[in-house]
Amino acid sequence: MQAPGTPPQTPPAQRQAPSIVVLDPAHGGTDLGARGAGGVRESEILLLFAAQVRRALESMDFQVMQTRQGNENPSFDDRSAIVNSQRGAVFVSLHVGSTGLPGTVRVYVMSDLSASNDATGLIPWDRAQAPFLPLSRRFGDIVQGFLAPRFKGSPNTAQAAAVRQLRTTAAPAIAVEISSVSMEDRDALDRMAPGVADAIARGASAFRPLYVVAATNPGERP
Amino acid sequence: MNRRWLPWLISALALAVIVAGIYFPILRKRLRQATQLPPQSEEQARRELTQTTPATTSGPMTKARLFWSSGAGDGSLMPVTVDLPLTNDPTMRAKQVLNTLLAGPVNPELRTLPPDAVLLAFYMLQDGTAIADFSEALATNTPSGIESEQMAVDSISKTLEANVPQVRWLKILIHGQEVDTLAGHLDLTRTFLVNAKPAPMTAASAHASAPAADSANQSASKSASGKPASTAAAQSKSATQQSLTPATPPGKLTQPVKKP
Repeated sequence: MQAPGTPPQTPPAQRQAPSIVVLDPAHGGTDLGARGAGGVRESEILLLFAAQVRRALESMDFQVMQTRQGNENPSFDDRSAIVNSQRGAVFVSLHVGSTGLPGTVRVYVMSDLSASNDATGLIPWDRAQAPFLPLSRRFGDIVQGFLAPRFKGSPNTAQAAAVRQLRTTAAPAIAVEISSVSMEDRDALDRMAPGVADAIARGASAFRPLYVVAATNPGERP
Repeated sequence: MNRRWLPWLISALALAVIVAGIYFPILRKRLRQATQLPPQSEEQARRELTQTTPATTSGPMTKARLFWSSGAGDGSLMPVTVDLPLTNDPTMRAKQVLNTLLAGPVNPELRTLPPDAVLLAFYMLQDGTAIADFSEALATNTPSGIESEQMAVDSISKTLEANVPQVRWLKILIHGQEVDTLAGHLDLTRTFLVNAKPAPMTAASAHASAPAADSANQSASKSASGKPASTAAAQSKSATQQSLTPATPPGKLTQPVKKP
């Protein structure tokens, strides 16, 4: 409670985060990603997963952008640039791994990354994720929480890993890895897509009110 | 015409058919087994060629803890204790444990690193940064995926932490170069924290060994498979004598500042 006569404190300028999700189907082009003995290619199957995730997000009023629509292979930095140019967006990178318990899904967030602003106060591009690590952890835990009951054997909380794609992303960012291309039955992998899509959409929706973007970005001059 | 030989001929032919009938499945089985043997890669051939002859171990056997897959399928690791003639020199010691890690556990299913990957060089800097330079097979043959790549790096990092207390940071190079990722996912442009409170490095122990002089490189590579490990103590001396101390480590240790 404020003392009488004390001037009222003005809260920092904030605004509701725009509902933008940048979806990143990893790999593409000559980079096929993980390959299964049955001919499953990570780069191909991810486009199918991305389409389902996109539909689930759009049904919850999210605006969705994709880092690739077809078989092109943008660089890590090009993918990051898409989300970094959007104020208040979140980033979801989709992967299908080579290993892991078949039928499980893991959410990864960037492992510790020391933040270091340069003399201008700007965030170095190659450490863009550093100021967003706590938010990414929160976002990852929420999405993993929706995935765990659907896919038995999946962890209950997000894991930390030095995922290259996440490092240069200036937004709450997670990587979702589905296990795995080694599944003998391709249909079993395809059947996971609706559950993964719904969990990501619900996770993004639950995270939305927690992510209030400051009027100015970290390091940006007001 | 004398046909007395005809029964003998028919008997011989019948015998030949019976023998062929017995031998053919055996032959087919052997052929199948032969085709299932994995072809020897260049890296494996190189490793065998450079394998030093096992000698008597002059150093005391130490219980080394190596981290291979737990087999749970969830990316977790399990420490395995292996008796190795470890030296006190951190560089040589790191090479011994990493080569044993590369050689793999008794159960090949629990491998964390590709069987044909080779440790080309290992350097220790004064600040406790360890630089491990692996052959390209580490990048090309590690299964692509966040979990599998993380497990590979974790097994290297945890094995160094458990056996070489001087290592603070780990930097992984592929064939002498810094690469973006291990196999498409895990960031290798960074250094990995191994031990937040490392043992101090002595000036003498911070050195690097040239790959050609790396006589201890293979010293322990067969130990975990149950085969005899070669000695390290005698090799340690020769390798140390030929070691180099680079002013700057190979590869790029500082992150390039990129702008979108």
